[in-house]
Amino acid sequence: MRKFLSYLLPDQSSDVILMISIILISLMVVSGILFAIKKAKPEKNLTEVINRTKSWWMMVTMFVCAIFINNTVAYVCLAILSFFAFRELYSVLHFRQSDRNALLVALLAIPVQFTLAYFRWYGGYIIFIPVIMFLLLPAIMVIKQDTHRITKSMAMLQWSLMLSVFGLSHLAFLLSLPDLEGFSSGGRGLLLFLVFLTEINDVMQFMWGKSLGKHKILPNVSPNKTWEGFIGGAISTTVIGYFIGFLTPLSTPQVIFTSAMIAIFGFCGDVVLSAVKRDKGIKDMSDAIPGHGGIFDRIDSLSFTAPAFFHLIYFLVYPPFQPFDEIWKNLF
Amino acid sequence: MEKPFLKSLCLRVIYRGICRPILKFFVGIQYPDCSFLKDEKQFVIISNHNSHLDTLSLLTAIPSDILWKVRPVAAADYFGNTSLKAKFSNFFINTLLINRRPKKDDVANKNNAMDKMLEAIDEGYSLILFPEGSRGEPEQMSKMKSGIARLLAQRPGLKYVPVFMTGMGTSLPKGGVVPLPYNATLHFDKPTLPDSDDSYAIMEQIEKHYAEMSEKYGIKEDDDDD
Repeated sequence: MRKFLSYLLPDQSSDVILMISIILISLMVVSGILFAIKKAKPEKNLTEVINRTKSWWMMVTMFVCAIFINNTVAYVCLAILSFFAFRELYSVLHFRQSDRNALLVALLAIPVQFTLAYFRWYGGYIIFIPVIMFLLLPAIMVIKQDTHRITKSMAMLQWSLMLSVFGLSHLAFLLSLPDLEGFSSGGRGLLLFLVFLTEINDVMQFMWGKSLGKHKILPNVSPNKTWEGFIGGAISTTVIGYFIGFLTPLSTPQVIFTSAMIAIFGFCGDVVLSAVKRDKGIKDMSDAIPGHGGIFDRIDSLSFTAPAFFHLIYFLVYPPFQPFDEIWKNLF
Repeated sequence: MEKPFLKSLCLRVIYRGICRPILKFFVGIQYPDCSFLKDEKQFVIISNHNSHLDTLSLLTAIPSDILWKVRPVAAADYFGNTSLKAKFSNFFINTLLINRRPKKDDVANKNNAMDKMLEAIDEGYSLILFPEGSRGEPEQMSKMKSGIARLLAQRPGLKYVPVFMTGMGTSLPKGGVVPLPYNATLHFDKPTLPDSDDSYAIMEQIEKHYAEMSEKYGIKEDDDDD
């Protein structure tokens, strides 16, 4: 399998190939177990789990094809993912009719943001949405002269843009990080580490919560979330993160810290989006992925972990790019 | 009625092959499973109307096998004001053009619209009808006209399929040029047989049906007080 994958993805390091093989093998094992249970006990209702596993196959295949085959394609695919996510978010939030133009301009921010990431212009990329769009979009909204609830629209538009475009574009900038000496996997390794750990964290929290969950953590936001699920999930994620640390240039304590951070931020993203869905009275953001709901139902935690992980890595491993490089050196 | 091979193929390619993927992935329209329409011999799809996207998304939702025998009823003054436009829309959208506002003194043409629809029904076509008449304000339903009820009253046994669409008016409102990508949704209800053959009773039934669907699927405006 590793040989086959290295043939398919010639540009990737052996670590990345190993990780993709592990993911594919574990998916095969899960599918095999499900198949066996279905054969042994046909009366058991597994439709939801089977649907979810099928969707996982789809998503893993699409992700590997999108990210690892060609560098430019990877940026385009991440931009498309961001577009779907942003569209889903503003469709759910119900903007006013007079916000149409501002929304159309906000959509144009997606190609710009990912192009900035593609050309590795960190300065432009990091201020484009938080500064330029932040000032531009309200100004465009005002042109329509409809002031009724305009404050709410301004706030919602910037929030959704930050979460779905700025947040997810950190995935793209991971690919643009410069190569480090002695670290062959590069940005792809980091991206794979982040995405895998975020998703496995979702799965682990779900499984721990299902099997041991007793004490509800935020009952009015998400009745299925429990302390047991959160803590169990965070510990499992940290352990798994420790074992796949070979994808990152981090030292062992750094890997453990980063993995724990991914678990915590992933949980935060999950409950924040749950709260929004509860406010809007919906269960899923859309019906894009069978068994999972909308795209944002799957990547809600990723939109939180991506910026957190990126800036953590940037702080820990890429100090030469920091303006406070000198301070950093003097401190440690 | 025989299936016109070329037209059917053409419609299939245009709607299933080209329009549906664009609408689904770029605009973000969410399609339900409409294969149940294949089991119906004939039906009238009625729907709320807010946008030019409405007809297009209905046509792309219908199973491609029966696309050729579904005719959207359209206003002649809009889609057929030139003969080229009429021919074009007849072939590619399969429209049935009617006069929305027949002239008062034109006795011969007074019931022209109803006659044309009945004729199409008798030929075996299914219809798509927007009983509100025009697109109106985005995300708001205006009062339905009674034509649909009179049509169903005159052809007992004909089923209607109510469709409730949300978000189309937000995506492409009246006067809009560029469609805003938006997760607009089509909600199909089951084909329903009118309970009575009195047009007033049918109208009441349809209005009730829509009130229910609007309650169930409609976008609830935030009523927060400021």
